[in-house]
Parts: sequence; structure tokens; C-alpha cells
Amino acid sequence: MKKVILSGKNIVKSFGDNTVLHGIDAEIFEGDFTVIMGSSGSGKSTLLYMLSGMDQVSGGELLYRDGNITNASEKELTKLHANDFGFVFQRTHLISNLTLCENIRMAGLIGSMTDDEVKKRADELIARMNLENAKDRLPSQVSGGEAQRAAVARAVITKPAILFADEPTGALNKANSEEVLNLFSSLHSEGQTVLLVTHDKEAALRGNRVLYLEDGAIIGELELPNYSGKDKAREEKLTAWLEGLGW
Amino acid sequence: MGKYRLLLKSTAQKQKSGIIGIFLLVSVLALCLFSALTVYISGTNSVETEMNRLGFGDFTIWTSGQSEDIKEELENIPDVERVSYQPLIFAGYEINGGYSDNEGQLIVYDGSVDYRFINEDGEELPTPEIQTGTVYISPALQSMFDVKIGDTIQFELSHSNGIKSLTVAGYFADAFMGSSMIDMKSFLICAYDWSEIQSVIEEASIADKLGRVGAMFHIFKSENSALSDLEFQRKINESTDVSLYTEFTYRKDSILNYMLLLQNILSGFLIAFSAVLLIICIVITGHSLSTVIEQEKRDMAVLKTMGMSGSGLRGVYLALYGGTISAGLLLGLEFSFLIAELLAKAMITSTGMLIELSFPIVVILPILLGILLVFAAFLFIRTARILKIAPMQTIREATGEKSVKSPLSKRFLTLGIAVRELRSEKRKYIALCVISAFLALFLSVIGKMGTWLGPNGEGLMNTFSVADHDLGVQPFNETVPMDEIERVINWYSPVLETYELAMQSVTVNGQEYTANVLNDTKWFHVLSGEVCGGESILITDTVASELQLSIGDTVRVAANGRAESYTVSGIYQCANGMGSNIGMSLAGYSKIGNITGYIWCYHYILENGQMRDFAMKYLQDNYRGIDVHTNSWSGLSGIVFVMHALIVVIYLIAALFVLVTVALTVSKLLQSETAKMAIYKSLGLSSGALRLSFALRFLIVVFIGTVIGLLVSALFGDIAIASLFKMFGICEFGSGFSVLGTILPLVSVPLLFFVFALAFSAKLKRVSIVKLISENDD
Repeated sequence: MKKVILSGKNIVKSFGDNTVLHGIDAEIFEGDFTVIMGSSGSGKSTLLYMLSGMDQVSGGELLYRDGNITNASEKELTKLHANDFGFVFQRTHLISNLTLCENIRMAGLIGSMTDDEVKKRADELIARMNLENAKDRLPSQVSGGEAQRAAVARAVITKPAILFADEPTGALNKANSEEVLNLFSSLHSEGQTVLLVTHDKEAALRGNRVLYLEDGAIIGELELPNYSGKDKAREEKLTAWLEGLGW
Repeated sequence: MGKYRLLLKSTAQKQKSGIIGIFLLVSVLALCLFSALTVYISGTNSVETEMNRLGFGDFTIWTSGQSEDIKEELENIPDVERVSYQPLIFAGYEINGGYSDNEGQLIVYDGSVDYRFINEDGEELPTPEIQTGTVYISPALQSMFDVKIGDTIQFELSHSNGIKSLTVAGYFADAFMGSSMIDMKSFLICAYDWSEIQSVIEEASIADKLGRVGAMFHIFKSENSALSDLEFQRKINESTDVSLYTEFTYRKDSILNYMLLLQNILSGFLIAFSAVLLIICIVITGHSLSTVIEQEKRDMAVLKTMGMSGSGLRGVYLALYGGTISAGLLLGLEFSFLIAELLAKAMITSTGMLIELSFPIVVILPILLGILLVFAAFLFIRTARILKIAPMQTIREATGEKSVKSPLSKRFLTLGIAVRELRSEKRKYIALCVISAFLALFLSVIGKMGTWLGPNGEGLMNTFSVADHDLGVQPFNETVPMDEIERVINWYSPVLETYELAMQSVTVNGQEYTANVLNDTKWFHVLSGEVCGGESILITDTVASELQLSIGDTVRVAANGRAESYTVSGIYQCANGMGSNIGMSLAGYSKIGNITGYIWCYHYILENGQMRDFAMKYLQDNYRGIDVHTNSWSGLSGIVFVMHALIVVIYLIAALFVLVTVALTVSKLLQSETAKMAIYKSLGLSSGALRLSFALRFLIVVFIGTVIGLLVSALFGDIAIASLFKMFGICEFGSGFSVLGTILPLVSVPLLFFVFALAFSAKLKRVSIVKLISENDD
């Protein structure tokens, strides 16, 4: 029996007169690699920001573990973002005047880790992300792949309960995308809960659960076995499902 | 042209907060500068014109005794064009229980001198008929004695029968002695009262007399005279017996200096502060413009690809900023006259007359054009970057961040982030550093002066007095029981030391000065050389400069028809009479002057100086025939009040400038750092921590600037103040560490920047992370 770690009930989000999310119910299970797919403008990124508490919902309820975080204070949300939720954005959004290593360490320092723990974990992640040669460079001095790998390392340094990712491969070439997706799969295989938004089928294949969003509503859900490498049958299953939804 | 108009409109809309900020700063600058200039120039012109109209000579001699025949003697000197004569009666007086330190001079109003009668606001009234038993006074007496119309002034004419009470009927503008900076005051009375007073004095025996008959001789130099003012004055003393009767002599410029002392201090400081504000305005404008160009250069590059020329784009920015600055200056100029009017009205009780304000266009216009020119040149230079924007290169350009090493630790994370930002974006904070340095420098200088002045004006007291003392008692006749008076003083506080001072009129190489004679010369404030003895004198820097004397020179000092040669033994500090005085020992003065009369004032140093006012009050209430004074003068409270008010006003203006500077800087910085702030927020850094880190950058950089400003102040502040004080006869200024001059600027300037930065960064709390991030996503 899978355990719900994060759930949104009847989530509504409006920007003025424009309602983007129309009462979505979504549950994210602990240890799952959940992918939210949908066409451009379907509201998938908005849903991610709502679920992660990065933006305020217009209606509905948001529950994290046993607590209601719908109207959490800034302090409570800050604590969640510092320790429990990790983020990877499409544009890396690394801090421009910090080196890759410092960017990674910064997230640990903001969280509840000690200086020593941060240093140890950052060194581990740098090695794992293959960033030894780039760690002392600024984001503007490294490749897109290196920058995004550093962004992933930054997102997981505090060992967050959920790793949120918004189109993490959207700005990368194929080789770099593959590398980053492998990192996500690797983290998931170690038990990391992942919630990833994408319109890329290759990225979606990494998930074990795919939600399809259209016009602000979830219109489909697909369960897949955990990713264990390229699998033609898995790809065909996802393609057929997506095509069935009008992809 | 349409495209540029459209661009100008949209740029103005986009940069409106910056434009409004610069407009405000420049308006305050213009308001401060032009109101101070208007008061300064109008005040000088107004008082000088009134002095001329009332017939003040190139110099005027106050004499005592029946000396009308001197007029003819004076008129016979070839270099004298004419001499006018105003009879006076000198008498001590009491108003509302307060005794004047100095005698008043009673003048009969017979219409021969066209005095202006004014109301409390300084507005001219029709010339009244002065009624018997009434007196017209200078409005400055309001600040000195809190006198009102209907109060009684008691003039002391003789011991036995000699109190003349006159009721205050109104005010007149006294351009010679009206200022509260001058202790001696004129009183206009009617011919009947004049005759009565004169009779009382004439009938009193010499021992009984308290009042004296005297005169003012206004001496005008012939236009053809080749003599300098000093030579002219010397010639008069050498050619006539006037020095035998002289009480004191003032050149027109000396009286003008006294009359304008307060307003010159006020306007001088405001003008100096305006210079600092101008520098700050230039720095802020430059900083704002650079930031805007940096932020807009991609758009400008795109506009260039669309066919707009670099010079056209530059013209838009020149027009926008130039127009804003011009409008700000003109607005400040427009309202400066109103402020000047308020200042002039507020100063009536200090200047003794309403300064007739006229807009000094001849001075202000070139200054305004000069400031505009400075701004225009500055804008022209700063906008040159627009010409260099290469379209495609700029569009493709990377941010070009530099890697800096600075430690990041959990404990000092907000501070670490602040330091990191400062180090990697140094250029953005240079303007803040420069502004805070200038503000701290000026606040420190004015603080040094405030400290030197002291809460009760002790600095000025000591500078203007011949020698330090708490209490001075001068008996005017043999009936005064000095032993008893000393016992009374001792009862209030034990007397630590006592010495005697006489202030007598002498000539030095034919030039009229006051000789300060001490029976114990150790009390002179000797700046260089040695204290004087029987064969030598001390001179002030002013006298040294006027007579081209230096230590070791020999001079001829004369008094009462007797003259002796003395050596200049040293330079001493005494700003009394704007420094026109010398110091002599009792032994030295006894060679030329009479030392047996009632010329001596007994000075007392008390163990508890706080008791001086109580002792003075008791002596004034219970003894006649004495003058009791502290080491102060009645106009001092005016200067102290103005200086303290000035410090407050300057701090308020500084705070306003800091507020606008921070508002401008914060909005530009946040605009350029939106994404960075959003990322920190997404990582879990709270808005509070982000704001604190942001404000800490201001605190750090402003603290550095403040320290630089204070160091400059410590190195050059005293020199600058000393050169300013020299104009008022104060030759020496020294200050050390003080709360007002060091601690207050050190704390207040960084704190103001920090608090305002913290307040203005509140935007960070309100905006959502997603919005902040998406604003910066292309």
C-alpha cells in the first residue's frame, strides 16, 4: 500500500478572470516518480507550483504528510522549502555570483544541516554529478548540462522528501538531457520521491506514474513499472496512452 | 520625432520612481541653496542699505562726555567728507527683572534720523509721535529679555534719585545695534524725557552718577581720499583729541558683521550643506543613470536594430534627466523665496529688523546656470555609453559575473550573502559609499562645531571673552561693598581664583582698539609667543593682520594722551570686537592709563560653576552700582539656538536625502536581482533573512563610507572650521573625539541607510517566488 506524501484537493488557481486549474485532486505517493504531462498551457507548471507551496492556491486544500499547508505561514513554507522540498527549474536558476559548489552548499546552509554535514554532502554530490572540474566555476562559465546537474545537486543536498522539477531538460540538448534524466532515475531508485513536469516523452518514461493534464484538469493517469533502462514495451505503452489522450 | 517622443514617454513611465527621486533631491538642493543665498545676499544688502540710510559713517565713534566740539575738529581733517553727530545717554537698564550686561544708549527721536518703526513681524508702521514716558526698542530685546509692548524698562541714571521708567510702546529697526549679537541697544525716547533724564544726570554728583552723556560721531571718508580705512581711522586719532573721549569705535564692516553674524552663520552652513547636497545629487544621478542604461541596454540594442540612432537614444535620456533636474531646480528656486521669507521673519528677534528680501537674480542666475551646466556636462559624459552599444553584441552578451572568494557559513549566512553580493557587484555600491562619506563628513563637521559650542555656548563664551571666568562683578563707585559681594559669591560656591580685568580704549600705532588689561596675565589665551609683561603686549591674529605685525615688533600704544612703546610678545585669542583688541598687563597699562578709577571688573572662578546664575541673580536683586555678568552675552542664546536648530534641520535634510537615495538604489537593485532573490526564496531563505542580508549590504558599504568621511573630517575638519571662524575673529579651533562629531554620524548615517533599506525591501515579502522567477524568464 503506497503512502500519500502530498495531496491537493479540489485545487483551483485563477489569475484574475482566467482560471488555470479547475478543482484538481492529485495525490503524490512517497517513493514514486510522478510525471505531470500535458500540452503547453495546460496548467502543469502551475499545478507543480501549487503543490509545492511556491504559489498560493485560489481554492482547495493542500496536505503534506499529516498537515494542512494550504494557508501555511511564510515561516512554515520557508522551512518546507529549506528542508523538505527540493526544486529543479527549466532554467537552472543558479545564483550567478556563486560557484557551482557554493550554489550546492548554499542550499544546505539554508536548510538545517551543519557546516560539516553540508561540506561532506556537497563533496559527495559533486563527485556523483561529475562536477569536480566545474565546481569552482560560476554558472556563466559552465555548460548547460553541468549547470543543470549542479541544480539537481543543489535540490537534493538536504535530502528532501520530495524533489520537484519543472521541465528540467527543456533547455538542454539530447546528451545533457539524458545525463540529467539518469540522475533523476538514479535518485528515484534510491527512494527519492520525484514530481516532474514535462512535455517530453523521454522524460516522462522515467516515471512510474504519469498524470495527464488538459485545460486545468487531470484527464488521465498511467501506472508504469519503475524505470530500469531503455524499454521498448514501456515506451510503446506510454505512447499509446498519450495518443489515446490526443497527445 | 514621433518615435523619440514615444520613447521618451515610455522611458519616463518606466523610470518614474527614479525620476521622481532625483526631482525631489534636486528640489531640496535648490530650496536649501537658493533660500540661503537669498537670505545672505538680501540680508547684507538690506542691513547695509539701512545703515547708509540712517547715516552710519565709514566708521563711527562712540564717545562719552560733552564732546560736541569734536565734530568741528573732525570735519577739518582733509580726508573727512562729513561728520554727523547723534547725542546719546548711556544708562544701564532692567527689563522684566533682568539686568543688561551692557548700557543702553538713549536717543531722542526728533525726526533728524529717519528711523523705521515696525511691528512685531517687522512690517513698517507709520511714524508715531513718541509719547512722554514711552520708549521704542529693537525687536531683538524680545529674544534677550522676553520684552513685550506695555512692559516697563527701568534706566539707572543715578544712585539717589535716578531710576527712569519708560513703557515700551513699540519697535524700531536699528541697523547699527539692533542685532541680538550686539549687547548695547538703542532706545528711542521723546525730547521731554530726554531733557528730564539729562537733568537728572547733570544734577547728580560724580559719585552719584550712573548714566552718562555721550554721542555717536558718524565719520564719512572723502571719495578722493587715498587712505585705507585703517589709515583713515589712524589719521583721525592722530589729528584730533577724539581718542580722549572714545568709548569704542566700529568700522561699518565690523558693525555689519555683528548685525549679520547669526544670519551669516545660518546661511553659510546651509550654503556649505547645499554644496554637499549637490555632490550627492550628482552621484545619485550618475548611479541611477548607469543602472538604467545597464538595465535597458538590451532594449536599446533592439531599438538600434530597428533603426534608432545612438545619439537619438542618448537625446531621450538627456532630455529626461536634464528636464527632471531643470524642473527640480526651478521648483526649488520658486519655493526658496518663501523659505527665505520664513527665515527672515523667524530671525527678526535676532537681527532686530526684517530683512528686506529681494530676489538676487544677478547672483542666483549664474549659480543656477552653473549647476545646470555641471549636470549637463555630467549627463553628457554618463550617457556616452549609449553610443557604444553595439546591437547584436549586446543582445548576445553574457552577464560577465566575476568569481569572488568569501566564506559562507551557516552561522553568518545572511552576512556572508551580503558580503558576497557587495564584493561581486562593487561598482553598484560605490555611489552609496561616496554619498555616505560626504554626509558623514558634513555631519561630523557640524557636530564638531556643536560640541565646541557646548549646550550653553561655552565655546563661544570662552572665545569671545578675554579670559575664562564664571562670574564678573564691576563696581561703579566706592559705595559698592566688594568684600560683602565676595562673601555672597562664596556662599553660593567657594571662589577658586579671582583676577581683575579692565577693558579700555587705546590706539595701537594710531589705530583704535580695546585693550584688555589683566592684573594676572596667566589668564590670557596665548596661542603663540609669550604672555605680556610691563614692556610688552599681546595682540590677536586680527590685529596682527590689520597692522601687519608679528611677534617681536615694536608698537606705539596710546591712551588718554599718553603713549609708550611696547614689544609684541605673543598672539592671543579673544574674538571680542571681531578680534579688534590687544592684551596688556596691569604694569604695562599703568604707563599710559589711569588704573585707579572704577575700570576694574572682578572675575571669579567658582568651584561649582553651575551656581553662577543664582549668585548673579542675587547680586543683581540686592546691590546697586554694580554690573554683574557671567561669561556670556545676551545674544549668545540666539546663536546657540540657531546652531542647535541647524544641526536638527541638517540631520532632517540628510535623512530625507538618505531616504530618497535608498529608495532609488533599492528599487534599481531589486529590479536587477529579482531572480536571485526568488532563487534564494525557493531554496528556503525567508523574506526576513533576505531583507536583512540586503540591508546589511547597505550597512556595510555605508559604514565604510562613513568611516572614510569621519577620517577626512578628523584630518581636515578642524582646519576647515578654523578658516571659517577666522572670519569672525576666532583664530583657533580644535576638537577631539565627541559624541556629536564622531559617534552620532558613525551611528546615524549607517543606521539610517540600514533602516530605510530594510523598509524598502519589504517588496520581497509581498511578491511570490513564481512571479519573481517568471519575471526574469525570457
